[in-house]
Amino acid sequence: MSDPKIEGYQFKPGFRGMVDDTASDQTMFKGVHWGKAMMWIFLLSDTFVFSCFLISYMKGRGSTPVEWPNASEVFGLHVFGVDVPLLLIAIMTFVLITSSGTMALAVKYGYEKNRKMCGWLILATAIGGLTFVGMQAFEWSKLIHEGVRPWENPFGAAQFGSFFFMITGFHGTHVSIGVIFLFIYAYKTFAGHYDEEKRGWFTSMKGNYVEIEILGLYWHFVDLVWVFIFAFFYLW
Amino acid sequence: MHAGIVFFLVILGSVLFHIFTPWYWTDIASNWGGMDDTITLTFWVGGGVFVAVCLFMTYCIFKFSYKEGRKAEYKPEDKKLERILTWATTIGVVALLAPGLIIWNQYVNVPKNALEVDVMAWQWGWQYRLPGEDGKLGTTKVININDNNPFGINTDDPYGQDDVIIQSDVLNLKTNRPVKILLRSVDVLHNWYVPQFRAKMDAVPGVVTFYWFEPNKVGEYEVLCAEYCGVGHYAMRGTVIVQDEQNYNQWLSEQETFSEFVAKLDKLEIEEKKIVKKINLN
Amino acid sequence: MSDELENKSGYQAQSSETVNEYSGSAVGDVDYVRPAEVSDQDLYHGHSFITKWVFCQDAKVIGVQYFLTAVFTGIVGLILSWLMRLQLGFPGLAGFMTAEHYYQFVTMHGMIMVVYFLTALFLGGFGNYLIPLMVGARDMVFPYVNMISFWMFFVAVAVLMASFFVPGGPTGSGWTLYPPQAILEGTPGSGAGILLMLISLSLFVIGFTMGGLNYLITVLQARTRGMTLMRMPLTVWGIFTATVLAMLAFPALLVSSIMMTLDKVLETSFFMPTIIKAGEVLGYGGGSPILFQHLFWFFGHPEVYIVALPAFGIVSDLISVHSRKNIFGYRMMVWAIVGIGALSFFVWAHHMYVSGMNPWFGFFFATTTLIIAVPTAMKVYNWILTLWRGNIRINTVMLWCLGFIVTFVNGGITGIFLGNVSVDVPLSDTYFVVAHFHMVMGIAPLMVIMGAVYHWFPLVAGRILDEGLGKWHFWITFLGAYSIYFPMHYLGFIGVPRRYFEMYDSPYMTSGVGLNEFISLAAFIVGAAQFILIYNIIKTLKTGKLAGKNPWQANSLEWQTSTVPPEHGNFGEKLPVVHRWPYDFSVPGAKDDFIPQTVPPSEVIDTEVEKT
Repeated sequence: MSDPKIEGYQFKPGFRGMVDDTASDQTMFKGVHWGKAMMWIFLLSDTFVFSCFLISYMKGRGSTPVEWPNASEVFGLHVFGVDVPLLLIAIMTFVLITSSGTMALAVKYGYEKNRKMCGWLILATAIGGLTFVGMQAFEWSKLIHEGVRPWENPFGAAQFGSFFFMITGFHGTHVSIGVIFLFIYAYKTFAGHYDEEKRGWFTSMKGNYVEIEILGLYWHFVDLVWVFIFAFFYLW
Repeated sequence: MHAGIVFFLVILGSVLFHIFTPWYWTDIASNWGGMDDTITLTFWVGGGVFVAVCLFMTYCIFKFSYKEGRKAEYKPEDKKLERILTWATTIGVVALLAPGLIIWNQYVNVPKNALEVDVMAWQWGWQYRLPGEDGKLGTTKVININDNNPFGINTDDPYGQDDVIIQSDVLNLKTNRPVKILLRSVDVLHNWYVPQFRAKMDAVPGVVTFYWFEPNKVGEYEVLCAEYCGVGHYAMRGTVIVQDEQNYNQWLSEQETFSEFVAKLDKLEIEEKKIVKKINLN
Repeated sequence: MSDELENKSGYQAQSSETVNEYSGSAVGDVDYVRPAEVSDQDLYHGHSFITKWVFCQDAKVIGVQYFLTAVFTGIVGLILSWLMRLQLGFPGLAGFMTAEHYYQFVTMHGMIMVVYFLTALFLGGFGNYLIPLMVGARDMVFPYVNMISFWMFFVAVAVLMASFFVPGGPTGSGWTLYPPQAILEGTPGSGAGILLMLISLSLFVIGFTMGGLNYLITVLQARTRGMTLMRMPLTVWGIFTATVLAMLAFPALLVSSIMMTLDKVLETSFFMPTIIKAGEVLGYGGGSPILFQHLFWFFGHPEVYIVALPAFGIVSDLISVHSRKNIFGYRMMVWAIVGIGALSFFVWAHHMYVSGMNPWFGFFFATTTLIIAVPTAMKVYNWILTLWRGNIRINTVMLWCLGFIVTFVNGGITGIFLGNVSVDVPLSDTYFVVAHFHMVMGIAPLMVIMGAVYHWFPLVAGRILDEGLGKWHFWITFLGAYSIYFPMHYLGFIGVPRRYFEMYDSPYMTSGVGLNEFISLAAFIVGAAQFILIYNIIKTLKTGKLAGKNPWQANSLEWQTSTVPPEHGNFGEKLPVVHRWPYDFSVPGAKDDFIPQTVPPSEVIDTEVEKT
């Protein structure tokens, strides 16, 4: 995207431009939609939530006196007579990252006012998210079946189950909320609410394709967090 | 105007209160006089700033109270004045911080010859363990704790057998020998605090924390729990008796060691069994 | 419902062209201000009782709702403090008071006052009311989310209050909720009480996040024409920075609440090591109690500044207006607020010097803590330098500000004792700490709240609060509160530990008995004196002097509204255009001793005003 044009305001590149924007009146982030700025700040706050979780996890893992379970064994999958470590997780991660791609395309088509394409891509993203949540449910039930509980597990330190269920559960909740919104937005796109600037059901604010980009920011964030969870739980 | 007078009296009252207060710290009975000195220093510097700021404020009330038609000065900034004040404050803060850090450095570095004392806390009470003739405390585990092993000593650890165990809340210490307090808790947070020694540290379940001091005054002092530990917190007290070497050794020789304690229990058990047998026979 | 929808679109949004005509024609003109970047805000106007006063989207109404709810919890907190002081000063006088009750009251008093009273009042109350008005916005940027924020807070308060009525009562684990004790038998309210507390806190965090996003984006993206960041009143700076802190600090509280809830409900062992109670080994093991303390204080220390920074900002404005003099060193004040805010994330473990964490942390945290003293001291200097050569109106508002300076300097200096790691060792967990934080984050911000109430009441209600009653209220509160907390430091020196249900008969306790009784008596009087304000408000609403526009001759935008009290949309037809900072008082050459922010340079051409 090119720089927005603002009447009476001279954009400057680099650090100088940042200082100018900060020192100017009205807005700090020039041409940035309120909702988009809000989402960025919310995500900053949410980053702190996940950081607190992951730092607690590191501390918990470091200080427990009992041995930590071996990730590649616990999360391994037995397919066609072979033990494949991290198979399910690899698929889950692939699905989620792919859904980030479809989301990005949805945003692009949204701004091009291509209602159909945008709607289908949002729907594809939602289905990707749903698949992810489904596979996570499968993994949870597998672990529960093997005797892993939040308060104990047969493989080693009890904290393993506690942190695993808590953090993936919290992330899964984020994904699920995202999926719900994706379905709603898909409906709204197909129904043309963004084209005709229809007012929202609750907020009474006018619809705009920028909302899809805002949801997209959230979705990419959720994916990014997953990469960290993936690294901390499955690769460490 | 009246307001200025009242504020002035408040400042004056604060200073007078500080000078004439009957409530001040208890006489120190350990080596941590440096803490008291730093407090005194902070009092002089901080109190000076407090009085200066408040007196200046009072002066402003007297001098610049509202008068119709007078105009206040218009001077948004005074870079020079601000710079002077910043540096003066920084110097003051460094002057206070430096002694604080020096003393903290002493606080976290325990002298080599310190006598280790295991202080075990629970809801709501204290008990103590001293090293035996080998001068070393045996290792412990919370999970080992039971009626036959009140300290949870690892029975396979040879250092633990001769440990002196004191199953009461009265601890004796001798003067002029540094003491390293090793704190343990079996349930929640506690804190073994003797106001006269100045030092304190939380006992945290799951880990062993420590601090040290050197008692230097003979006397009997009260131990308080200084970390909220549930409904009995206020009643969780103990006693420390600081004595000279001779009395201390006398007291120490009267205490039983872990192995003696176990032997006594075994004997009791055997006698108990005999009684049971007798009863059965009858 | 259909009727409502119709109304939603019924608001007459101005086009940006009409705004452009308002002032300044071309670049180079002294009065030139850039045209509006964003078209005027689309607002939903309530028209039934419910949409106007209950589920209202107007930030001003939401602010008042926050204010009243916070004051209600504050009164509960006040009553609890009376009960505590009754037990401490006159043990046995209240027959029903057991140790369980005492600890429950201590806990609820602390949590209510810090989170549900002060935080909600400053950010939810003053933030909502003042931010849009002061930056020249029609409303908060997301009015609907803002409304949800209040109702979330309301539910959080309801859940908190519900914990008084569950079996076992509210939690009695101290406001720090330290595990393992908080969720184990032996602490009152370790069942339903602590659970409701954790749920309530989580709701508060979620609700606050919604409000906080509003405050931040309104300040960053919805200022009026000409309103640069460096022309904002310090009130907005204080609330803004505090909100940033809250957005980054509350996550730690949320995470620790979730983890402790799981420890309680599912018997996970995040914070729970192996524990033996009454000879029984509990089903926990391997957790770390100190981890909770780190999380808690990573929230808890910024929380102190979440309360303090808005107070700093507001008091700066009040002092400036009522001294008829610009705030001294505005830029220094802004940077001090921002700097204190940033530093507050690097000092949390000064609450944990004797917690059993690695003692080497002490060096780092003592240093960062004392560094904060420098910007804080600069703020104090600038307040008194603002008074200097001013033309000070000694009215009720100014009295509260002066009271603030005395109590804040006093409490700040005792903070230097406690922040300086080895000095903290003898003083921590004694009454010195209690006295310190009550002075610095209890009484001092309360003084500002009171000053702010007397200052902005004419805007909110259109009538000026009675000065005579106000002065009584101030003097009783100030002298009373000072005589509660100043001598209390000395109880700490004696060695009296905090959170003791009884000051039993050991030598250094008995000497403090008289002092304790005195403190309790003072506490009863100070608490009762607060009802003077309530009486004053009721009386003023009926018969008070009408304020008219801008009764204090202030410069900031909230006094330049088209009507008093301002209606929904704040500024009537046209949004104000800002030409200067809000501190142009007593400018040489000007007709009046104040130049409002909206006055263009061409109207005050002969003055020696500094460019801002």
